[in-house]
Amino acid sequence: MALLEVSDLVVGYDAFPVLHGINFTVEEGELCVLLGLNGAGKTTTVSSVAGLVKTRSGSVVFDGKDLGRRSPSARVAGGISLSPEGRRVFPRLSVKQNLRLGAWTRRRQSKAVQRQLDLVYDYFPRLGEREGQLAGTLSGGEQQMLAVGRALMSRPKLLLIDEASLGLSPTVARTVWEVTSRIKQDGTTVLMVEQNAGALPFADRALIMEKGTLVYTGVGDELRAVNLREAYLGA
Amino acid sequence: MTTELGIAVVNGVFRGSVYALVALGIVLIYRASGVFNFAQAEFGTTGLFAAYIGIELWQWPYWLGLLFGLAAAVAMGLATERLVINPLRNSSRVTLLVGTAGVALAAIGIQFWQSNEQPIRSMPKLVEGVAFQPFGAAITYQHLITFVVLIVVALALAVFFRSPSGLAIQAAQQEGTAAELVGISVRRVSMMTWGIAALLGGLAGVLSGPNLTFTAGFLTFGAGAALLPGFMAAVLGGMKSMPGALFGGLLVGVIEQFGNLSILSDVSGGGAMMLFLFLLVVLLLRPQGLFVRKAVAA
Repeated sequence: MALLEVSDLVVGYDAFPVLHGINFTVEEGELCVLLGLNGAGKTTTVSSVAGLVKTRSGSVVFDGKDLGRRSPSARVAGGISLSPEGRRVFPRLSVKQNLRLGAWTRRRQSKAVQRQLDLVYDYFPRLGEREGQLAGTLSGGEQQMLAVGRALMSRPKLLLIDEASLGLSPTVARTVWEVTSRIKQDGTTVLMVEQNAGALPFADRALIMEKGTLVYTGVGDELRAVNLREAYLGA
Repeated sequence: MTTELGIAVVNGVFRGSVYALVALGIVLIYRASGVFNFAQAEFGTTGLFAAYIGIELWQWPYWLGLLFGLAAAVAMGLATERLVINPLRNSSRVTLLVGTAGVALAAIGIQFWQSNEQPIRSMPKLVEGVAFQPFGAAITYQHLITFVVLIVVALALAVFFRSPSGLAIQAAQQEGTAAELVGISVRRVSMMTWGIAALLGGLAGVLSGPNLTFTAGFLTFGAGAALLPGFMAAVLGGMKSMPGALFGGLLVGVIEQFGNLSILSDVSGGGAMMLFLFLLVVLLLRPQGLFVRKAVAA
């Protein structure tokens, strides 16, 4: 059974639907990439899964349970965590405070939180070096690492990462993808949204969106074979 | 002259303690809801009237009356959040501002209506008498207690903001969506903030009321007016800094007392003149406020 099953999801207003009934699944243990151009509906899709956006119809089933209208907070506690578009770190709190707040739903289990903190520092040693620094003073790449690290602190079963590569240099973007791939190998299922096809080699499977619908699903190798860049991303 | 200055400083610090309590509440709300809270001083008058009713009318022990007053202030703060701030959370800040002014006016209206038969009230001090007299300035126990409460409250707030709940409040203020995403209930945080701010206002009310006779609107425009000085203190501190609000409050108290020096005895309203002059100069020279640490690029 799939860990995440999205069926006939419709989001938006009557005249301006953002998502027109999309269907996809994410299997336990895989790293899925959701690709598409600006305005294709990728962010809306992961925001609906995280509970930030009200859906009009359709269902999101996670771990066998229909999430219905559950709040973002209930979804975090249930094992879904989103690293949002634009990073949204808490700028005037330190790196460590940002990370600890990521474990808000599990804040009373101090030992488990400490272990998770060590794990995040292991994934992103830069965060460990800068744990006392205010998040607003970090570079863009470091803020992105912090956003992913913060999302990991709740020990999610499903980690959603929205446009990690946006505004990063190719090298830093690759570092973030490599760590994401390690996170997957350590057992966390990942769904990442990307506009940058450079993420493809790191993914087990790719979903391609265009104008609010899912136009293609396939394994990473197939996609490279059909020359995805030309077909869908116009690059 | 030196003695006179000494008296002004000492008196100013104690008057300023009340302003600082109000300013701390103003800053807390401004950081949380992005709005200047016109009702901040009325949390104080409401608390004062409730304490008066408990102590004078119902003959409760003083401490119980004080607790009742503070509870009434907190209840008013929570009600304001639920009935005005939360329903208007997606409106413009001007709408919110008018909303808080409405709360203040409603509270003052209720106080006038309730105290119609005896508009001027007074109540005993927590501890009567003069504690000491530096430079000949009589410092009452009430003044001393107010100052000590201010310091304790400021330290408690500093500790609280480093606790998990305090960090959650800061997180919700800095990035609401991200706070929601890590599971912090932004709604609960908003309630908590308004409750704490109202408690600070309530303290200002029950501690300053016994110094003077009081009427409806005591802390807003009455004899104990602290809303405008509190606002000035918050502005001096840069509107967002808690230590800034604390020192700003004490400073405003002292500057105001300078207006009462004998060289200004021919000037009526010397205190207010000194205050506005000082505020003007500060805003011209340091518009970001006096006690602001280096700005952080968000």
